[in-house]
Amino acid sequence: MSRVSSLARYSLWQFRDFVFERAVAILIISFLWGYALIAPLRGAMGSQMSRASPIWPLMLQGASTLVSLSVLIALNGIISSDRKLGYYRFLFSKPVNPVLYYAQAFFVGLIGVVLSMLVLSSLMHTILPIFSIVNFLLYTALIYIAMGGIGFFVSAATRFDWVSLAVVWLGSRILRGLYGPKGDWRSKAVELLPPVHKLDEVANSLIGTGTAHATDVLWLLGYGALFFVLGLALLRWGSLAD
Amino acid sequence: MAGLPATDDAYYRTAALVIEFRNVGKIYKSLLGNSVKAVEEFSLTVVDGEILGIAGPNGAGKTTLIAMMLGYLRPTAGAVEINGLPARQYVERNGIGYLSELIAINPKWRAETALVRFATLAGISRSEIRQRVGYVIDLLGLDEHRDKKVKALSKGNLQRLGLAQALLRDEQILVLDEPTHGLDPVWTQRFRDIVEELRRPDRTILIASHNLDELQRLADRVAIIDRGRLQRVVSTGYENTAPLAGTRFRVTLASGHELIRAVFPQAEDAGRGEYDVTVRSIKDLNTALADLISRGALIASVVPERSMLEQQFREAVGESQ
Repeated sequence: MSRVSSLARYSLWQFRDFVFERAVAILIISFLWGYALIAPLRGAMGSQMSRASPIWPLMLQGASTLVSLSVLIALNGIISSDRKLGYYRFLFSKPVNPVLYYAQAFFVGLIGVVLSMLVLSSLMHTILPIFSIVNFLLYTALIYIAMGGIGFFVSAATRFDWVSLAVVWLGSRILRGLYGPKGDWRSKAVELLPPVHKLDEVANSLIGTGTAHATDVLWLLGYGALFFVLGLALLRWGSLAD
Repeated sequence: MAGLPATDDAYYRTAALVIEFRNVGKIYKSLLGNSVKAVEEFSLTVVDGEILGIAGPNGAGKTTLIAMMLGYLRPTAGAVEINGLPARQYVERNGIGYLSELIAINPKWRAETALVRFATLAGISRSEIRQRVGYVIDLLGLDEHRDKKVKALSKGNLQRLGLAQALLRDEQILVLDEPTHGLDPVWTQRFRDIVEELRRPDRTILIASHNLDELQRLADRVAIIDRGRLQRVVSTGYENTAPLAGTRFRVTLASGHELIRAVFPQAEDAGRGEYDVTVRSIKDLNTALADLISRGALIASVVPERSMLEQQFREAVGESQ
């Protein structure tokens, strides 16, 4: 049996782990969050809320935040936990390539998050018919790769990935807010930070209408993909036990 | 011991090379710039069919060496090769049966499920998994614990589960780090029997242990490490009749107590028919014992105060400090 096919078989175990260790948490938090957000809005506006409603952007903002939170939960400790807890020792004494193992875990996580959001968005759609399931899932996949790619890299590079990712994410938002518009060297420097400033706009357009600026989408995808590949490179050329 | 020639250096120079540590060094650096040398200029070859023990005090660098051998850590100097491949590359292609000192298995997994997962990763075919898992469960006496969660297992049972996952596949190389840690005397003996059963000409076994008695019984040679350096490689056989630099033995006589000082003038009476004697070599010991028997004494037992390995260990570790 080839090493690749045995690893592919192991993806079912990775998916099982995702469901029990992460998807349940994602769904519980999402239901609570969704209920707290939608119930009062629906009470105020009724089920006939339109895209023109002043509350609609608030809905989109809430949905976008939920996706970011889900991605954080899905990827928290994806690599660093195995290091911290020592699980890598038995896993990688087997004929397994850690690069492929964690790349597979990343894509299993993508499927898991999209399926979790499918459950959630289906419920949202029954409550608010203008809420598009397809648009929401597209946005979820985009953010998983954009934000998850960075999370994957951080988890490969440090043991404190959740905190590090939160610092990177919030730090980028704050620094871009402070220096982005100045037009000097600092505004050019902050251009290298994660493109968090594009998230609100992409969330509004992609979840709301199913369209988005191609450059924004490519920028987000490219940034996440680049860091995902850097994370894989760290796994390949770094030490598993450090 | 039915192993390899323990003292024949020529054998180890010409036998098929399996694992080679070539001038390996490892320095740990902290973020603050402090550095600790865990391993220095370590060179050693381990050959096909050999059981090599690795002994050393706490912090000697045993676990770091093993981590480099499995490719978990990159050496800061030198290289570790297995069958001519960089260590990590070999492990990714072939796998190694590895029992780590710290048994880290997800505590939420059930014992049998954990073995099925590891068997899947090890590349055992779907049709064979049940059979292999059943085999190691029987071998390690885990049948009554197969449905228990890992977190519910006792230290000894967890150790046996760790050993079970290392034996899932018929690996060419086994690395066992403190394998009897936490095992009761019955399972410690059973482990020794299992290792003897695992010995075969095309398999190499490394055992890192604090337990010198265990290494004396199981290993062909023992590498003694201290402060990250290889101090010496010791054979565990008694083929060597060279001077022992005053090894003490405890001789127990069933009868003929009055004869002991005629043969061993310096014998010290330890009570209950036991005497401590010092000899310079195994040959001297045998000559003296033959003399004692010929004079009519009945010997009940002869036990070294310290095993050859223990004596060598004390000397090696003492020399490095």
